[in-house]
Amino acid sequence: MNKPVLGPFESPADNEAHMLGTLQHIDVPMRRFKELEEVDYLIVGVGSAGGVLLQRLARAGFNVVGLEAGPFWNTERDWVSDEAGSHELYWEDPRVTGGTDPLALGANNCGKGVGGGSVHWAAFTPRLHPSDFEIYTRDGVGADWPITYEEIRPYYEQLEREMPVAGPAYYPWGHPHGYPYGPHPMGGVGNALIRGCSALDIPVSIGGPVAILSGSHGDRPHCIYRGFCIQGCKVGAKASTLITHVPDALHRGAEIRDYSMASRVSVGRDRRVNGVHYFDREGREHFQRAKAVILCGYAIETPRLLLNSACPGFESGLANSSDTVGRYLMAQAGTVVLGRFDQLVRMYKAPPAHALTEEFYETDPKNDFARGFAIQTVGPLPIAFAHQMVAAKKAWGWGLRREMMDYNHWASFGLLGEILPWPENRVTLAEEKDRFGLPIAHVSFNLHDNDHRLIKAATKKTTEVMQAAGATEVAHEARYAHLVGAARMGADPRTSVVDKFGRSHDIPNLFICDGSIMPTQGSANPGLTIQALAARTADYLVSQADQVFTSNDRDMTPPPFRPDFAPPETWGKGVPRLT
Amino acid sequence: MNQDDPKSSIEVPNAVLLPVDPETGDALSPRLQPGYYSGFSTLSQQSFWDPATRKVVLDRVGSSSPLRFFSADEAKFWEAVFDHLIPQTDRTPDRRIPILPALDDRLNRNRTGGYRYEDMPHDQEAYRLGADAIQQEAQHRYGGDFLVIPYLQQDLILKALHDGKPAAAKQIWKRMSVHRFWQLILGDAIEAYYAHPWAWDEIGFGGPAYPRAYFRLERGEAEPWEVEEQRYEWAAPVYSASGEVEATHEFLTEALQHRSHARLRERQP
Repeated sequence: MNKPVLGPFESPADNEAHMLGTLQHIDVPMRRFKELEEVDYLIVGVGSAGGVLLQRLARAGFNVVGLEAGPFWNTERDWVSDEAGSHELYWEDPRVTGGTDPLALGANNCGKGVGGGSVHWAAFTPRLHPSDFEIYTRDGVGADWPITYEEIRPYYEQLEREMPVAGPAYYPWGHPHGYPYGPHPMGGVGNALIRGCSALDIPVSIGGPVAILSGSHGDRPHCIYRGFCIQGCKVGAKASTLITHVPDALHRGAEIRDYSMASRVSVGRDRRVNGVHYFDREGREHFQRAKAVILCGYAIETPRLLLNSACPGFESGLANSSDTVGRYLMAQAGTVVLGRFDQLVRMYKAPPAHALTEEFYETDPKNDFARGFAIQTVGPLPIAFAHQMVAAKKAWGWGLRREMMDYNHWASFGLLGEILPWPENRVTLAEEKDRFGLPIAHVSFNLHDNDHRLIKAATKKTTEVMQAAGATEVAHEARYAHLVGAARMGADPRTSVVDKFGRSHDIPNLFICDGSIMPTQGSANPGLTIQALAARTADYLVSQADQVFTSNDRDMTPPPFRPDFAPPETWGKGVPRLT
Repeated sequence: MNQDDPKSSIEVPNAVLLPVDPETGDALSPRLQPGYYSGFSTLSQQSFWDPATRKVVLDRVGSSSPLRFFSADEAKFWEAVFDHLIPQTDRTPDRRIPILPALDDRLNRNRTGGYRYEDMPHDQEAYRLGADAIQQEAQHRYGGDFLVIPYLQQDLILKALHDGKPAAAKQIWKRMSVHRFWQLILGDAIEAYYAHPWAWDEIGFGGPAYPRAYFRLERGEAEPWEVEEQRYEWAAPVYSASGEVEATHEFLTEALQHRSHARLRERQP
């Protein structure tokens, strides 16, 4: 079994093609705008939200350019099945992290390059629950959203088809629903979660919801269960906006300018933004004019750019009259609970994300804390697992070598716990500068009583499930997952940065659309919600035609839902169970 | 291992530095491939990998680029430290996994994981300060250069950092968290060792699987090219302080999970 019959595997296409997965490639020359040309929308950051907005706005006929700090990936050439070889996927520019509970950044939660975080996410795609939009009203904690679940629901359903999402036919939590593609087969970790949950009478969702193809979909093959999801899916089975939305955006005349690091959003005398300054790969400064700007840089770079754009009239940064920019930053408790089994597990096979339970998601009056948590499968590869053994068992030297020789005996669950938004958990500017001379971000994070109590209960429950699954030894690594908040949406301009459509309260043609606008986060992985919000903001912008460019009026009428602006691949391809 | 090979017999470590058979207490001979998957080789499957992955992994195995960040003396010092963080005396000398080249390249390019803890200096400086602190600890405890004191004493010095209890170099540890420094150097050792296909063979990790795929997902079943586990008993060498592990169940947050960090903070209000 040492050689393929037809010789060593080679790239499926010639070296000239810009590949997006095994089969798909970019088949049109990209339109190029001139910098002096005033484009309609300039998007900063082509990630989860930026990719969707670029596609929608281009399809609606706007002239739109996306600035992306990282590369425009050719997946065959640039990505590898290798942990140590995948650093380029993550935002590894300098940042400072502190507070009583400093967050690990970089590979933990920050993407770079076209597709952004959707390139390295595990692709769990649960929706927020209806309760998430009103936790202040219900529990007196956090904040209410300026929108309800019903307002985002069509966009959840729509994006679940555009990615598309594989999962059970009936998903019982929050607002019950089903998924368009059938669930994935189980790996060893998923089986452990099923075993543990079943023994304790806890319902469990099997085989999803995860934005990984369980059946082929046009020129995207189905999953091959190689386990390297968070190193970028070379197969093209895992959804990222790089492969789901960017191709259609280019077909419709959008431009993506990669290796373009935005440094400052420019404001005119009329107190409206008129373009963005940015540095190219060689460090040369450019300025792209635009009628409106949408920031999609995620929960650290978006507030950093707003703060770095301070200018006369906006001394504390753009869109910051409320002093809310950078505040209410959230990460979820992401403690990994590890269980050792007598039998082999081999957790490197199958996607890390393939089973979960949200049975403990909602506030339970019996608890001594508000809100709740989910329990999900995770499948650390060797380097990640070794780091976990260092934290969970204080292993080093021979002890570490010994634990690692048992790698194949371990399964791991990740709890995903809701940490509430707190004003002092925030992004500010450090004195230190990056290679472009721009002040870098300082991130301060501190847990509060409710967070501590929730993490304690969640760790205990997840440990119980692992034990019920048959683990003979259980340990845990405390950590955090995801980042949202820091430019939150709200109805009140005194306590929020943007309105419910993502338009900044202070500047009528400056929008923000990414995880940073979320007022709370629930216990759901944020990727689906970020893309759903982007599609909704796009519908709003389309409904406004050129009003955004010419008027300071703020029309708060909800836009009509426009599934006709979805990528055409959404329908008529593949083998979905639901159409 | 070929005992007649003069190169390896010269470098065969003192028996007290070898893992032992827990029944008999006898030292176990170094192996080409320690671990429970004898005969398993990820590299033998490289024709099934995509070309980009093949290149990145093979470059790592063949890497012998000259060091750029560390001086020769610094390199010798850190080689000695990494021999404790991830000891490899159970490997035959020709099958030991180099730690320093990847780290040297990282520090030379000033590449980080994308963040720096506010109680830490930059990584380059942390390595220089840390070397100084370890030397001071060696002088303080054993009155000698870290590189010349016996292996077990070296191990105990590093265990003091692991435990968050250095006795010397107070000035340095005021500028730098002991725990975060320990995390940094052990993390770098891990990212070099467990990135190597020989380490994958050791732990039975299947390695790259694109475009071939995995197809036996359940019950820990082996693919046709993988092998079944063949366990053997071994214990850490007599002269070592790193054999024990402890689960820290009572610490529920990342900051508290590392007790050394918490204690140090208490000492320095």
